[in-house]
Amino acid sequence: MSAMSEIKAYRRRDGRVGIRNYVLVISMVSCSNTVTERIARTTGTIPVVHEQGCCEFEHDHARTKLALIAAGRNPNVGAVLLVGLGCEQTNIEDVRRCVAETGKPVEAILIQREGGSPEAERRGVDIVRRLKCVCESQERVPCRVADLVVGVQCGGSDWTTALSANPVIGAMTDLVVAAGGSVLMSEVAGFPGSEHIVASRAVSHDVGLQVLDMISELRAEYIETYGQKIEEVNPTPGNKAGGITTLVEKSMGNIKKMGTSPVQGVLKLGQAIPHPGLWVIDNRAQGPDPFNLTGLAMQGAVVTAFSSGRGSPVGNAVMPTLKLTGNPETFRKLGSITDFNAGAVIEGATIPETGKALYALLLEIAGGRETKSEINGNFEYIVPREAARKKRDACPLS
Amino acid sequence: MKKAIRIEPEDNVAVVAQDTSAGETLDCAGASLVAKGAVPLGHKIALSRIPRGEKIVKYAVTIGLASSDIAPGEHVHSHNVEDITNRLCNEYERAFRARKG
Repeated sequence: MSAMSEIKAYRRRDGRVGIRNYVLVISMVSCSNTVTERIARTTGTIPVVHEQGCCEFEHDHARTKLALIAAGRNPNVGAVLLVGLGCEQTNIEDVRRCVAETGKPVEAILIQREGGSPEAERRGVDIVRRLKCVCESQERVPCRVADLVVGVQCGGSDWTTALSANPVIGAMTDLVVAAGGSVLMSEVAGFPGSEHIVASRAVSHDVGLQVLDMISELRAEYIETYGQKIEEVNPTPGNKAGGITTLVEKSMGNIKKMGTSPVQGVLKLGQAIPHPGLWVIDNRAQGPDPFNLTGLAMQGAVVTAFSSGRGSPVGNAVMPTLKLTGNPETFRKLGSITDFNAGAVIEGATIPETGKALYALLLEIAGGRETKSEINGNFEYIVPREAARKKRDACPLS
Repeated sequence: MKKAIRIEPEDNVAVVAQDTSAGETLDCAGASLVAKGAVPLGHKIALSRIPRGEKIVKYAVTIGLASSDIAPGEHVHSHNVEDITNRLCNEYERAFRARKG
């Protein structure tokens, strides 16, 4: 095994590997957000707060619960404190049980049971301090790239995204997969137009059908939501002014992050990854970039390579986010939020060599080097809502 | 020298990395190329002669067909490219679904 495929990371009791040892404080309902935030602030840990957790329709609540459980289960998380109110829809005991299955310490407190907010806060701070001691006693051990789950995403795109940044991510994807690791690609709303390319890379006929079925559903949902076919409004006039001529070209700019690795299958949010390789995550949440980023983290990605032509500060509560830009100007201007300059391609470097350099940085980050998103405190966690999805599934973890 | 970026070796178009005027020489993967007309930043330029009806290849995949003869150095966009996305997707899907695992 080459030195390049070895990293030092945290091996969890469930066998998965994390590259951080975060202590997480998770709020069960918006009513417990403030106490959650105050406990995290006092202890220097990461809060996960959200706007839901009560009075939700069944499917919406299933998604909330899945997102909270998945945050706790992510292998980058070493220990968890759950903070609830006491009368909310979110069943704190269910969440505790699902997170504890991974073998990590999970504690739970309820504001009503503790006798109020200051009381819950004091108790929570004591618990988190203890959990931090547990995590600090754990050490990184030798692990392999084959143990890693890596997400890929783009957002805040400009003319360089499809030209330099995403092809460079694609080269990195192929290196991770060649080393036996896993890569997760989502942003499936951008797939129509190149489904024939994605399906042609499927490992089997069944997987090809999974891809084509997903795109057929997406096309139908698009018509139902907007009253028009995707290709009637794409490429948009703005895309055309920027130089994109056809839908397959526009779509390929997105797909390029997948490199040329075989597609192992399509997974729904909450479905465990059956084996390593490149996977498509069917997350149809349409919204700001943290929606998709959170979906990748929910799926167990421990780091995501995120390209942004214009520059973006986004990160995630449980997953370091390696930000790269394909635009050398953006890298010079926004170096404080950008980790890697794929704009070297615009200035003469080749895509394969720049992809290797990105892969090397990814492994450094896996070994403990902080990303700009972590340094700047970008620990967003936004529950991805799939408003347009017609067929919805219950929370697979409970 | 101004640059055009060819993403994959099999591509017959490249993307110009700055606004380019007619007659300007561009460097593309070590070779030089003269722009036949203005090509705006981020737009495609033909690397070789592409006869009418031939495939436009970018990202190593077909992104459209030449709707007229395209000379090396010419701007490649909606005026000389036919969008065949639907045909590519539909034909592939029909053939794929007809095939048994």
